[in-house]
Amino acid sequence: MMTRAPSGWDVESPVQAEVFVVWLHDDHLELTGPCGAAPWILELGATDHPVAVVDRIVRDVVGEPLLVHSTSWRRDRDAVILSFVVVIDGALVGNLQSVPVGRSELARSEARAAPREIAHAQVVEHGLRHLAWLAVDDPVVAVELSPRWKEILAGYVPEPFRNLG
Amino acid sequence: MESRMLRCACGWEVRGTLDELVIAAQEHGRRLHNMEPTRGQVLAMVVDDRPTDDRVDEATAPPNRE
Repeated sequence: MMTRAPSGWDVESPVQAEVFVVWLHDDHLELTGPCGAAPWILELGATDHPVAVVDRIVRDVVGEPLLVHSTSWRRDRDAVILSFVVVIDGALVGNLQSVPVGRSELARSEARAAPREIAHAQVVEHGLRHLAWLAVDDPVVAVELSPRWKEILAGYVPEPFRNLG
Repeated sequence: MESRMLRCACGWEVRGTLDELVIAAQEHGRRLHNMEPTRGQVLAMVVDDRPTDDRVDEATAPPNRE
């Protein structure tokens, strides 16, 4: 399973959000955020609404997001991890570390079991496939994404929300 | 100077006194991770990165004589 290295103090709540902040840099997508390309982990309390927490924290730390969408879930780190793709305008990136998004094979489940291993790149790949699906299926999402965003997402195979593990 | 260090799994690091670490870690946890760590939780993860000569080794120090 995918876990973070035990390199220090960490989020340990039973439900956690894992945020991937994505933006359009010229003709390609990049990952950014306060943790750079690494997933940004948030604690989710028993009474927290996951989307509201992600939206609030991203607003406070990075700036107003264009889109906040949960795209998959899995078990990892002794918790249930809700993965979010957050789309921001490039003007918010500033000095944050940013790296191009690479393509990856998806982590496929077995008929009645979760994938044995899931890499972060596979979570991002699925998140962008989910966004590609929303871009053509959800008018609210479609209006927030620029034509160039949609052109790039057209290169991803659309998929709805999934349990990745 | 009693400098200690605390490292978050996200890569953020802070050095300072124990009181400074607690304040900084609680601010970092609240702002970036939606966490409200207690003083005890923060102190449990503090790393003593002072030079070895500056540390009191309680296991080998001679007992106090009055």
